[in-house]
Amino acid sequence: MTGADRQRLRQVRAAILGDRPDTSLSSALYPVYVAAVAAVSYGVPAAQQLARSVDERWLAEHAWSPAGAIVAVTVTALLMALVWLAGRVHGPVLPPLPYLDLVVASPMPRKVTLARNWRLSLGGSVVGGLMVGAVAGAGLAIAEVASPTVLLPATAGGGLLGVLFAELWLRGQLRDGEMPFARNDRLPAGSGQGASHLSRRLSTRRNTLALLDITSLRRQAASTVTMGGAVLAGDLRMVRLDAARPVKRARRVRLRASVPLAVIARRDLLGLRRAPGSALYGLGFTAAGSAGLMLSLLSPRTPTVAPLLSLVVAYLGFGAWCEGLRQHSDNSGTSRLLGLAYRDTAIAHLVVPVSAWSLTTIVSGAGLLLAGLATPAALVWTLGVGTLLAGAHLMAAFRGPPPISAFGQGGVAMMIFWYARPLLATLVVGTATTAWAARAATPWTLFSWLLLASAAVVKWGLTLVDKRDRRD
Amino acid sequence: MLGRRGATVPAAPQVLEAGAHVLLAEGVGKTIDEAVLLLPTDMELRSAECVVLRGPNGSGKTTLLRILAGTVPPSEGEATLDGSPVDERSELTRTVIAALIGPPATYRDLTLVDHLVLIGSTWGEVGAPAAGRADAMLELLEIDHLAERFPHELSSGQQQLFHLAMVLVRPSSFLVLDEPEQRLDTDKRDLLTRILLDRKAAGTGLLIACHDPAMTDVLADAILDIQPA
Repeated sequence: MTGADRQRLRQVRAAILGDRPDTSLSSALYPVYVAAVAAVSYGVPAAQQLARSVDERWLAEHAWSPAGAIVAVTVTALLMALVWLAGRVHGPVLPPLPYLDLVVASPMPRKVTLARNWRLSLGGSVVGGLMVGAVAGAGLAIAEVASPTVLLPATAGGGLLGVLFAELWLRGQLRDGEMPFARNDRLPAGSGQGASHLSRRLSTRRNTLALLDITSLRRQAASTVTMGGAVLAGDLRMVRLDAARPVKRARRVRLRASVPLAVIARRDLLGLRRAPGSALYGLGFTAAGSAGLMLSLLSPRTPTVAPLLSLVVAYLGFGAWCEGLRQHSDNSGTSRLLGLAYRDTAIAHLVVPVSAWSLTTIVSGAGLLLAGLATPAALVWTLGVGTLLAGAHLMAAFRGPPPISAFGQGGVAMMIFWYARPLLATLVVGTATTAWAARAATPWTLFSWLLLASAAVVKWGLTLVDKRDRRD
Repeated sequence: MLGRRGATVPAAPQVLEAGAHVLLAEGVGKTIDEAVLLLPTDMELRSAECVVLRGPNGSGKTTLLRILAGTVPPSEGEATLDGSPVDERSELTRTVIAALIGPPATYRDLTLVDHLVLIGSTWGEVGAPAAGRADAMLELLEIDHLAERFPHELSSGQQQLFHLAMVLVRPSSFLVLDEPEQRLDTDKRDLLTRILLDRKAAGTGLLIACHDPAMTDVLADAILDIQPA
């Protein structure tokens, strides 16, 4: 940034602020203050309890084992992938629309006009990483699971992950754009950088900012406004549809005609083929979640948090394969043209996710069985969890608009609880039965409980389907 | 034969075929709280007949169409199909009536031709006939060149033709259409008029809300003028 650029940016900020005082620093620091208070008040005690709930011998056996390393690397890789994907929808550099139209679109260098927004996001990510690391380290130290010296590497590691995540987030945002200059190795006239420099310096942050195009910046900024309103109104359907990217792939592959139920399943498979990201995301999360569940059943000393986290991952993976189900729900209230009853169509949309869950579980289970890390009973158990996930996703897809307002009695907390009911049902039923089964001499009685509770969740989901059908 | 209580333009009656369907509105009205959306209205539609609804915006045309398609219950009067209450959840209603009232359900990850194949399959068409009918329908509406596009890649007029294709491709005895001419250019309006005339000649009953006088003149056997409440 040259001195002239700084001067022009100062003038722009002065024009935007007018007579008002510049409160940007305090606005940026306030969330940090709130997060720090929350971390100390809730995060550290929770981390401490979590560390104490883990069996020390189990932790010692698994923390530094190859399996532990694989789990850590897998979880980090999945988080990194999520952060990158998040950048494609909502990147770290999202100034308000008027600023985009009046300042970023001007001839001023983009790396100058966008630098402030990037610094804020980078700072937030680093501070968040530092806090998570510090909270985890403090929890381990206070629970006397690790020595107090763990606080330093944990905090530093969190900070480094924060930097890494912020960079990936920005890369995701860059990928969202058309990237004409990245593809053609050209920069706009007057950018001061030649073609040959660009490819060599693409990895630098400044160039990444310069490569962000106004179209994708505007789209993401407008989407942020829409999503903000939708979140406040509790309309998560709008959030999902706004975040969804237009499908463009495999347009020449045709849907094959078939009998009614089969054609719905074919439709869902074709949908996944045209959205390979969702299919792969579902595969990765389902493989990790189902493997986690089977590993959780290996020892009675497995901490309860293991099946709980596995179920969260499995829920997310299964959900990635349920787009057809959600689209069926989205279409509620429109002219119906399919020759299938509403409920039958919903059930048909479960064929693909349940089959995919079963196949993935069998493959990952076979691998674990061969490695001696799972039992056949654990494999059967995890297959049974598929029923629970199917019911939960029926509930999630057909829950409809919230009956409560974020601004009414109970407010945001009640609304979050209302939305989280499908996940909570999965976690309560799945964690309780799995943790109990891991400690039981024989899991079969508990397996029947798992299936009964899962059937109740499916019934709940179908009740919501019928309710949407009646438009209650 | 039919009449809005107070305002009816009668038209030449159609001779009913044996086994034809009858869609009937008797004193059908809709009120939500204090708001009157539709005053009590009578209407009768038989196979191979076309009733066109006319009236200013907000007069209740779409509400009447929704009631007669079974997606909204009337707050007074009765809407029946062959003597049974019209209800979109009943198999009879869904089998007999195909409605286009507002944008229909679409899947954002299916192309135009996929949608038509899906609809055809769920109505019992399997294999090559379903694919052939899908292609033929797109060709009929002159949007066959858009077969491999996704719905979000269409202009508003193309969207309307696609929505019409989705309704026309499924089997039905009655077509209930809310302003099918909207967003179509003159040529496409003529094309749609010809298609609907053919459908009527083949025995399909048509109930259409329409603002196009030329289409109305050609299609209507009866016109129901609806006045706002």
